[in-house]
Amino acid sequence: MTVNFIRSSEKRRIIEQLTNMYGIEELPFLLLWWGKERIRGYSGHLSKEEIMQLSQLVNIEGVGMYLLKQEDAESDFRLSFDSLHILKDQISKSIITLNKEQMEQWLRGKDIQMQHEKGAYIIRYDGMFIGTAKSNGIVLFNYVPKDRRIRRQ
Amino acid sequence: MRYEMKPKHEQRMKALLPDSQDFQKYNEIIHTSPKNFIRCNTLKISTDELFKQLSEKWKMSQPFPGHPEIMLIESQLGPGELGNSIEHILGYYYVQEISSMLSVIALAPEPGDYILDMCASPGSKTTQIAAKMENKGTLIANDLKMDRIRILSANLEKAGASNTIITRNDAVQLCLNLAKKNIKFDKILLDAPCSGEGTIRSSPKTLLMWNENMIYKFSRIQKKLISTALKCLKAGGTLVYSTCTHAPEEDEEIIDYVLSNFPVKVEQIKLPIQCRPGITKWEKSSFNPEVQKTCRIYPQDNDSEGFFVSKITLLEEIQ
Repeated sequence: MTVNFIRSSEKRRIIEQLTNMYGIEELPFLLLWWGKERIRGYSGHLSKEEIMQLSQLVNIEGVGMYLLKQEDAESDFRLSFDSLHILKDQISKSIITLNKEQMEQWLRGKDIQMQHEKGAYIIRYDGMFIGTAKSNGIVLFNYVPKDRRIRRQ
Repeated sequence: MRYEMKPKHEQRMKALLPDSQDFQKYNEIIHTSPKNFIRCNTLKISTDELFKQLSEKWKMSQPFPGHPEIMLIESQLGPGELGNSIEHILGYYYVQEISSMLSVIALAPEPGDYILDMCASPGSKTTQIAAKMENKGTLIANDLKMDRIRILSANLEKAGASNTIITRNDAVQLCLNLAKKNIKFDKILLDAPCSGEGTIRSSPKTLLMWNENMIYKFSRIQKKLISTALKCLKAGGTLVYSTCTHAPEEDEEIIDYVLSNFPVKVEQIKLPIQCRPGITKWEKSSFNPEVQKTCRIYPQDNDSEGFFVSKITLLEEIQ
């Protein structure tokens, strides 16, 4: 895999956008593009140069964790299912809270009928972040990854 | 379906255990299911919060005072209940048998360490290491095959581990390549591929697949793995060698081999469950008495799976 670091000017732009969207003001990671749309964050102690050296010696299949996906509009970012927990203390905007019945539907991968302004949201239930959604105004579209949904018994 | 031990397997286990009563206990417990242990993922939730949350639906306990992240579910669970809970979906806990947690307890990872997990998939121990490191320092998680890398990668994502670098290499070649460029680690976990005699309770088919030749084959591979692992360990660094088997050829014989060939010492390990010292005689071989510092975990002693753990310090760097 090619290791493709994100420049600091680009990182600033991403953080600015995340602040506007979700209230996130810090990304304490070395950021990398993983494919064309996904951004991973590495919190370890190795420098960019050391990671590049490592990539010349061994096959690297992943660095850090998957944090964000850049959506169609370049300035639109969707947080990954797991980064919500790592960044939970900073998330303060665009949160929608579900009740128990809605949560059970949500974790089965169902979309939820609910009126909200168009845009990206973070879904919360009982204090826990349980995924991200996009609203078209009347439906919250479900982005819970397939392998993280409640399975049928 | 109940599988039975093959005659040669039974003969070896009888030779390993001190008396027929002990063998009887062993042979009874391996036909029962193991307890439901989970490990709290402290990268996402505190042990207090998770314990409180899970206690609302299950009878829970924290059996080891120094290790609050290890939790035992004492309630009878329905099929799939453990994997389908919201806390599991969110990655707040990892379902892991107690004996499988021991290698990382012995390794004692700390934030800031540079650690190599040589044969990392599926990632139970890797995610345990990442949690102890609090996502600081670096953890190189290696495995050989792409399908195993996918599982490892999914488990690391779910754990929220951000200080890891996943590599796909033959572990021997990986260590040789890194050693050539003088890249050395503070700690290495070598949870070696093995014949799996200790996993009968969760995977009874092991009894059917047991084959003495496999033991010798794995023993040769394990010697190669541990020899190259030591080449990328810093002087004073720690290597934990573990297997999920009772076969001495894959356990004490490997430690005896490194004691004879490398500048190492074996460390005494403090584990939260009962373990028996490593053996010094097996069939026609006798081993360095230092191997008694290694730990044999038998299912009948702790109502767990079977395991072997050893901890080695490298006294001087190997060029």
